[in-house]
Amino acid sequence: MSHYRYLLRKIGWSAFTIVFVILLNFFLFRILPGDPARSLTKDPRMKQDAVEALRVRFGLDKPIINCFDSFTPVRIGSCSVNPLETQFFIYVKNLFQGEFGISYKTNRPVSDILVERLWNTILLIGAGQILSIIIGVVFGVFAAWKARTSIDYGALLTGLMAWSLPTFWLGIILLFWGSNNGLPIGGKSTPGASTYPLLFQIGDIAEHMLLPTLTYTIVFMGEYMLVMRSSLMDVLSEDYILTAKAKGLSTFQILKDHALKNAMLPIVTIIAINLGFTVAGAIQIESVFSWPGLGGAIFEAVESRDYPLLQGTFLLIAISVVLANLIADLTYSYLDPRVQSE
Amino acid sequence: MAVQELELKPSVPSSPLVGFWKVFSRNRMAVVGLVMLVALVIVAGFADAIAPYDPKSYAGIQSSDIYNRPSAAHWFGTDDAGKDVFSSFMFGARNSLIVGFFAAFISIFIGGTIGVVAGYFGGRIENFLMRFTDMMLVIPDLPLIVVFVSLTKPSLWNIILVIGLLGWTTTARIVRSQTLAVKSRKFVLRARAIGAGNRHIIINHILPLVMPILVVNAILVISLAILSESTLAFLGLSDPLAISWGQMLNFAFGRGAMSVGAWWALVVPGFGIVWVVLGLTLLGNGLEQVLNPRLESHHLMPGKTTLRKEAGFHQLRKPLRDSPVVLDVQNLSINYVSDDKPPARAVENVSFRLHEGELMGLVGESGCGKTTLMMSLTRLLGSSGQIVNGGVIFNNMDLATVTEEELASIRWNGISIVFQGAMNALNPVRTVGDQIGEAIKKHLPIETEKLVEERVVELLELVGIAAHNKDRYPHQYSGGMRQRAMIAMALACAPQVVIADEPTTALDVMIQAQILELLNELRKKLGLAIIFVTHDLGVVAEMCDSVLVMYGGVTAEYADVDTIYNSPRHPYTQELLKAFPDLSNPEKRLTSIPGYPPKLDALPPGCRFAPRCPLAFERCSEETPDLHELGNGHVASCHLVEGS
Repeated sequence: MSHYRYLLRKIGWSAFTIVFVILLNFFLFRILPGDPARSLTKDPRMKQDAVEALRVRFGLDKPIINCFDSFTPVRIGSCSVNPLETQFFIYVKNLFQGEFGISYKTNRPVSDILVERLWNTILLIGAGQILSIIIGVVFGVFAAWKARTSIDYGALLTGLMAWSLPTFWLGIILLFWGSNNGLPIGGKSTPGASTYPLLFQIGDIAEHMLLPTLTYTIVFMGEYMLVMRSSLMDVLSEDYILTAKAKGLSTFQILKDHALKNAMLPIVTIIAINLGFTVAGAIQIESVFSWPGLGGAIFEAVESRDYPLLQGTFLLIAISVVLANLIADLTYSYLDPRVQSE
Repeated sequence: MAVQELELKPSVPSSPLVGFWKVFSRNRMAVVGLVMLVALVIVAGFADAIAPYDPKSYAGIQSSDIYNRPSAAHWFGTDDAGKDVFSSFMFGARNSLIVGFFAAFISIFIGGTIGVVAGYFGGRIENFLMRFTDMMLVIPDLPLIVVFVSLTKPSLWNIILVIGLLGWTTTARIVRSQTLAVKSRKFVLRARAIGAGNRHIIINHILPLVMPILVVNAILVISLAILSESTLAFLGLSDPLAISWGQMLNFAFGRGAMSVGAWWALVVPGFGIVWVVLGLTLLGNGLEQVLNPRLESHHLMPGKTTLRKEAGFHQLRKPLRDSPVVLDVQNLSINYVSDDKPPARAVENVSFRLHEGELMGLVGESGCGKTTLMMSLTRLLGSSGQIVNGGVIFNNMDLATVTEEELASIRWNGISIVFQGAMNALNPVRTVGDQIGEAIKKHLPIETEKLVEERVVELLELVGIAAHNKDRYPHQYSGGMRQRAMIAMALACAPQVVIADEPTTALDVMIQAQILELLNELRKKLGLAIIFVTHDLGVVAEMCDSVLVMYGGVTAEYADVDTIYNSPRHPYTQELLKAFPDLSNPEKRLTSIPGYPPKLDALPPGCRFAPRCPLAFERCSEETPDLHELGNGHVASCHLVEGS
């Protein structure tokens, strides 16, 4: 009973956050100085009717929201705008139909570009996260178990160092090293590889993924390690660990059956909280390695001032992170029986 | 009252700053971090004077100067525009630091205000502010910053503003929880009771205690701001007029440093970022350790090996009972050792013998070494406790020296423990039945799950818990039920000895009586030997067969229960008895013993009880009394009983 209420509350808040993100996304791009239409129509060589045509094409000729002028959030004296004809309504309607507008630069629907790239990002983030969590957790467990030995100090220092590395710089350095050692310098696959047999293609993609994934793993491993260490240290000084020891369980049994599940709980939260950083990491890594994912899309959109693409990418990333957070919350409530009865 | 006053004062020596510096300078991490930062601040501050070239001027640069290797003229080589990398590095340091500090200042200000207001005022304000914070926490930072900056002009101050405005969420959460903790402290409640205004309380009472945490958090926020700025600059969103490390990397990466092999243009600016972020991280971590020292130890750290002195064992000549001995503790001494302090003599030369079916009471004030003694029996002392003399004889084995493997088979199977405060002694994420079953599976040759389950149900019913509760979690049990479950668990492997370490503290009187009744019954039914650790002399008189009175880590008196109650010889036992109500003599005046037990790291010379003893004379503060035999196994350590 109370568990359902907990679930409903979490889902409700995520929905609310998503609405907030959609509003933020819509208004940011229209209210901040340097709005999309102006940058689009700034080119002096463009003829007036061409500009108008573009504005119509991108829906920028319509009022932003009922009773507001297109570009200034000022109420017009007498207003007779059909609410169904406003940019906001059309924007929301399109979102529900999975349309994110049309890229200025490539003239393709943003949704097509995003779908293509989403999978690449998931592939990269998935591989990087899994590796960094496994390595981070294993080393964190060792550091906590062997607390105050040289293993522990070494792990601590490595963790702090890894945490301090700027992701993009580590990527650059690895890329520099890799390109001198015959590794591919970027992208997801060798041009023309799609004509080769499947096994070769997979190997090709793996080769391209090697350095980005390595960068990812190093950067995130440090934090997971530090969190796991301190979390396990806390758990291992709990009374119930002493009980387990008094029961005659071996160190391994205590770690496995009494400490790890409890100590992993903060890791679940950290994974959720870190998703924002994860995405930030993806943007940097994809930019460095020209990986055709969402982060790369942000980089390209910024470079070419392609606002619909930027807007769409931001929206997709933000909503994914909100949903992933929700999943982490629900996982947590499943893992920790105490949460449900709160 | 006076004691509480003392407790409220923060534990900082006379001059807080001097004291802080003393602790700080001992923390190697913090000092290294601080030195790294100071060095960088000097380089950034004096860049105009130190830098060999002006990075803004193109005077005298030729096309042959592009991407030159490091040389005497250019220590770190030249970049894509032929400019000196080292000079740009210094000026870049300045902008990175400016962005970091100012953006962090904005974030800390917003987050601090939101956190204090939410924590202090509570109610709807808190609810609204924290919901908003949670929402902002979920929305990914960097993409939002990128969107903001790319929609506005990427000037230095715009970047500072955007990073600052979006980076406050963690600060708000941390400050809120600290404010909540501080708010309910006594001096704040008192200030409010005497009518101090909110403003006054926040500024004078809350802020000073929130500040340390805020400072540590600020250091983290600065490093995040610097990382954000460099990432933005690397993505091409930087002030074209302000050189920064990220911008240098953006130019080098985008303009062919990679293909011409100009590693210096890529390595040097990144090294700057790593340097400052690592410096801040070390400083922040170190500061946190200084301000909030945590005991870096846990139950799985290897214990200290037992030392054994040559001195002969002090044997108790006459046993208190006739039945066979199950546990023979001989001259056990335990020290707590640490690197920078002399060892604390927690337990010294304690001996007792536990017979089959015997219930022994172990009494004494808090801090008398009772728990230490009990934990040492199966070597559960942790990493700092060390057995330095004596032995624990159980089944013809000395538990003080057997191997860990041998010990593991005796723990619970031979000697089990009912811990005090069973809430924390049970694992919160596993069901009670599961935890009881675990002990059975570990020690008993029961193979099928079904049989284990049957045994668990049997045990729970033995202590009066209905079978259906076995699949519930500890937090779903009441306090009394948890303690019963703990007892059921202690009995799981039918041990010979059960140590009940204050099993009824924190329970209400009715439940206490039930638990005690249960223990006593089980002892008779199962023939257990029980060591019952308690403060409650009334219970001891009613149930126990023998009593060991400890004071300051030593045996004060040890005898059968009638002797202890009717003819106590040690002044401490006598005083303890005066402090407890006697049902047969309700008119009796109760008296308490003035003073406190000695601190184990500052033991008085001579008898440990001398400073509080009403009968103390000169010899007591000079010479430690021996344990004197008084016949029938009765012993007491007091000069007054000598020769009697």
